[in-house]
Amino acid sequence: MSVNKDKVLIEVQGLKKAFGSNQVLNGITTDICQGEVVVVIGPSGSGKSTFLRSLNLLEVPTGGRILFEGTDITDPKVDINRHRQKIGMVFQQFNLFPHKTVKENIMLAPVTLKLMTKEEASKRADELLERVGLPEKADTYPDMLSGGQKQRIAIARALAMNPDVMLFDEPTSALDPEMVGEVLELMKELAESGMTMVVVTHEMGFAREVGTRVLFIDDGKIQEENTPEEFFSNPENQRLKDFLSKVL
Amino acid sequence: MILADIKQDFYLNFIKDDRYMWLVDGLKTTLIITFFAAILGVILGFIVAIIRSAHDKSGHFKILNAVCRVYLTVIRGTPTMIQLLIMNFVIFGAVSINKVIVGSLAFGINSGAYVAEIVRSGIMSIDQGQTEAGRSLGLNFSQTMRLIIIPQAFKNVLPALVNEFIVLIKETSIIGYIGMMDLTKGAMLIQSRTYNAFWPLLAAAVIYLVLVMFLTFLMNKLERRLRTNERK
Repeated sequence: MSVNKDKVLIEVQGLKKAFGSNQVLNGITTDICQGEVVVVIGPSGSGKSTFLRSLNLLEVPTGGRILFEGTDITDPKVDINRHRQKIGMVFQQFNLFPHKTVKENIMLAPVTLKLMTKEEASKRADELLERVGLPEKADTYPDMLSGGQKQRIAIARALAMNPDVMLFDEPTSALDPEMVGEVLELMKELAESGMTMVVVTHEMGFAREVGTRVLFIDDGKIQEENTPEEFFSNPENQRLKDFLSKVL
Repeated sequence: MILADIKQDFYLNFIKDDRYMWLVDGLKTTLIITFFAAILGVILGFIVAIIRSAHDKSGHFKILNAVCRVYLTVIRGTPTMIQLLIMNFVIFGAVSINKVIVGSLAFGINSGAYVAEIVRSGIMSIDQGQTEAGRSLGLNFSQTMRLIIIPQAFKNVLPALVNEFIVLIKETSIIGYIGMMDLTKGAMLIQSRTYNAFWPLLAAAVIYLVLVMFLTFLMNKLERRLRTNERK
């Protein structure tokens, strides 16, 4: 778990996003370095999910720039699909492909994009299923899995692309309480393996234990950012204090 | 004797001079036209549906989308019969061309408009998260459509598509108006020889019914196969 401050993976510069007249992001600037686990928290409607979804251009910014590994991916001339291959994403609603088996879900993108042959992808899928602890589910369909299992498969699917960074959009918010643990445990293992992660979550325990940096977003701006220890013990921003007093 | 009358009528309408062959030949035409029109309709329908839903979601393809909307409005807003007559007497009025092509084109273009709206509703019914999942993995728009959205949409709209094919089979019965002999026209030709309306028309009706029932049976089987991934 070592943060490499010299290697900036994602450089966010003055990021703005408006939906019509509704200004959701108001100029966000931050660098995400290799090996960092950046946890983003904030009240609902604060723009934290929009911020995360902008990082792989699922939301197209209306201002500012995002440099991923040195390339400005907000430039319309850039082939965003190539960069997305290196940015894994895990969704609140899992978004597994219901018409494909678990293993086909994992193999689909690497095979379609010709990054692996079918055999290589199948081997990789087996490894990943082992890693997320669900090797016996290879040939079942997503509808037959529990929420926690679905999310672990979704993480495996994203990992199959060998991404340089993983984005998590409230990965445990749609889960029954008893399933939250298994997903957070897997994310913790992933962080310990050195994966760069940006995690939007309400799990303060995870932020404190696994995060290397915590961002508090409100009103479309980063109101405070700090190491987890400082962030939770010495919050300075008044809104953050209010927020923490409600959630802790 | 009623039974003897029936026997006599049956003989006159179907057996004598091999009159049943009018029904057989007519059925062939009905099947051929329906087959090609269905293929054309599905191709056209999917293309239009993809353009329309891509436009609705992303705002791209403005001009193509406008063309599609004109197509849908005109085709759905005018009778199939008029479209068939225009195809035959106006568009192909001055050239001699195989009527199978004229009929397949007219019915295919007509059916495509209905298929398009069916498929579009199917595409729109798939959760936006499916598209996002595909795109976030680095798949482009058409890969996401082809591998993720369309297979799921197709399954959802299969019953409505079958319904459209059923309508199409029966609608081809107006093709006699451009001088082709399909099943309906075959029955009418028999009627004109025997002055008996009941038997030939009943026979044609039964054949249509059997065709439709067979199609429904096939599609039910396909639907069951496509649903294997759902919780039982």
